[in-house]
Amino acid sequence: MFEFLCLVLGKATPLFLAGLGGLLSESSGVVNFALEGMMLFGAFAAVWATGATGSPWWGLLGAIAAGMLTGVVHAVASLKWRVNQIISSICLNLLAAGLTGMLLNEVYGVYGTSPSVEHLPEVGGGVSALTPLAILAAAGVTALFRRSAWGLHIRACGENPLAAASAGIGVFRTRLVAIAVGGGLAGAAGAFLSIGVLSQFVEKMTQGRGYLAVAALILGRWKPSGVLAAAFFFGLLDALSEWMAVRWMDLPQQLFLAFPYLACFAVLAFRFGAMRPPSALGRVE
Amino acid sequence: MKFSVAVLAPLGAGMLFCVLLSLATGNGPFALMTTIGQGAWDGAQNAASTVVKVTPLLLSGLAVSLAYHAGLLNIGAEGQLTLGALAAAVVGCAAGALPPILLAPLTLLAGAAVGGLWALPAVWLQEKRGVHEVITCLLFNYIAAYLADFLAQGPLGDGSAMARTPLIADGAVWPCLARFGGVGVTFAPFAAVLLALLVHAWLTRTAWGFEMMASGTNPFAARAAGVPVSAWRRRAFAASGAIAGLAGAFEVVAVHHRFYAAFSPGYGFDGIAVAFLAGNAPGWLWASSLLLASLRSTDKWLQIILGMSPNAITLIEAVLLLAVVSRTGWERLAASVASRISARGGPGPDAPPDVPSVAEERGR
Repeated sequence: MFEFLCLVLGKATPLFLAGLGGLLSESSGVVNFALEGMMLFGAFAAVWATGATGSPWWGLLGAIAAGMLTGVVHAVASLKWRVNQIISSICLNLLAAGLTGMLLNEVYGVYGTSPSVEHLPEVGGGVSALTPLAILAAAGVTALFRRSAWGLHIRACGENPLAAASAGIGVFRTRLVAIAVGGGLAGAAGAFLSIGVLSQFVEKMTQGRGYLAVAALILGRWKPSGVLAAAFFFGLLDALSEWMAVRWMDLPQQLFLAFPYLACFAVLAFRFGAMRPPSALGRVE
Repeated sequence: MKFSVAVLAPLGAGMLFCVLLSLATGNGPFALMTTIGQGAWDGAQNAASTVVKVTPLLLSGLAVSLAYHAGLLNIGAEGQLTLGALAAAVVGCAAGALPPILLAPLTLLAGAAVGGLWALPAVWLQEKRGVHEVITCLLFNYIAAYLADFLAQGPLGDGSAMARTPLIADGAVWPCLARFGGVGVTFAPFAAVLLALLVHAWLTRTAWGFEMMASGTNPFAARAAGVPVSAWRRRAFAASGAIAGLAGAFEVVAVHHRFYAAFSPGYGFDGIAVAFLAGNAPGWLWASSLLLASLRSTDKWLQIILGMSPNAITLIEAVLLLAVVSRTGWERLAASVASRISARGGPGPDAPPDVPSVAEERGR
């Protein structure tokens, strides 16, 4: 049972970190479907920085930096160049898939899978040290929204940017910072995949988890505690499908591989709670 | 001037990027573009295999742009194409006893129907629960891939160790117009262009097409004018899925003659780039799909001649796409350059007006 719980935590952590990143961005009013790309860049940067410095902690920092940079591109493209925020996100996801695959060949001379590097330490039970850090980050984000003026600024930009601007808040700057910090969290989620559970980068290793993180954000109704619960729930489904795959070896394995996506669709189809995204989400001023 | 900026700037940016990428990987400045040009068009066989790739790319692009005109983004073309191909392969094999005159359309119809059905949950969830269709489409892409993999390996497989269905009946196979080396070109690419032109005419010349476009560009005005906006969005999305399914069906009847696991090398995702490179105008999809087909048919040459990862193509595609959709960025750049050149005294031309259409505004 304890082992299963640890497995769930491991599955939930990347979704949760990326979901928090998405929460920061979407609370400021900018749709962020680029979590997938941010995670992928983060996963690659983590392996590269770990290999270059020898320390996985530098790898984690590298991943955060890569995610932040992707966030800045998303912010500039969607806010300054007025690219539709969803199109910009999809561009970035495509860019991440292409660039990481290409860099893998240019840096390491291999296709598909990078050489092994050292991974982040565990805190016991196979749980990566990044998991407690992620929970700390959640506490930080909750405190940010509940207690700080900056959190209020972010939400003001997401609810009514014109009012925020007339109250003297720099809307673009606030959004830029929110998206970049969110990108950093998504990058850390990518690092969890590459140097948390594994110790290498695999091409397209995010496997749609960035989109599952957005689903967790929707399911969590744009609240930090909601995102935490939704990510934990998805982690549970993911762990359950792995457990079932071992338990019922004679059933088609594709069923268990598809199970998390199917279950995600099923829970999104349920009607519960107030569906109230930030009012200005996705709008162009 | 606006048109030329919107078209030329992205193409220039794309070429510049190719030069930079070429230099960054230790090749001559034009090595990448030359390799792409030669790999895609040098020799009849290469040209034929590029033209063959136009069919799925153009139809995926048509699927994306049709949905986009109704204000929806269909990134589920990959899954719809996969299942459409599987359905066409199954019908083409199981109904093999029918006369060809019935069998050929039935095969295509099966692909289109399954593709259309696979698209419906996304638009349903968007309407009833407010979940963006992109999320559902993505989930359904994964589900489709695993479902098709399972079916091709198990119940619908041909019994061999490979995950594939049996060959379709001869009556369902489209005859080759000509063969170049090992590559046969059928009527399929031309049929795809024809279909795109038909959709273009339907959108721009009929009242229904106008209603559908109005539902996308300004749903509020359309609703006020009595247009059934939700119905049009559902129809457009189902039609979009059907066209993506048709893309898979064409691949089966014209190229592979069966379905096998991992059927699509990402045609559905490339459809997004095809659609946006053509400015979502179905009448121009032939050009953007030719460009994408040229890129996609050269990825192995990049690996052999330049030692470059085939992912370079995806990267170029992403940069092109970003350059095309950043139109406001280019126009502002052009306006600021023009104003700097034209006048010290008088004011130069202003930046483009900041009036995005409702479709652009609709984020979620």
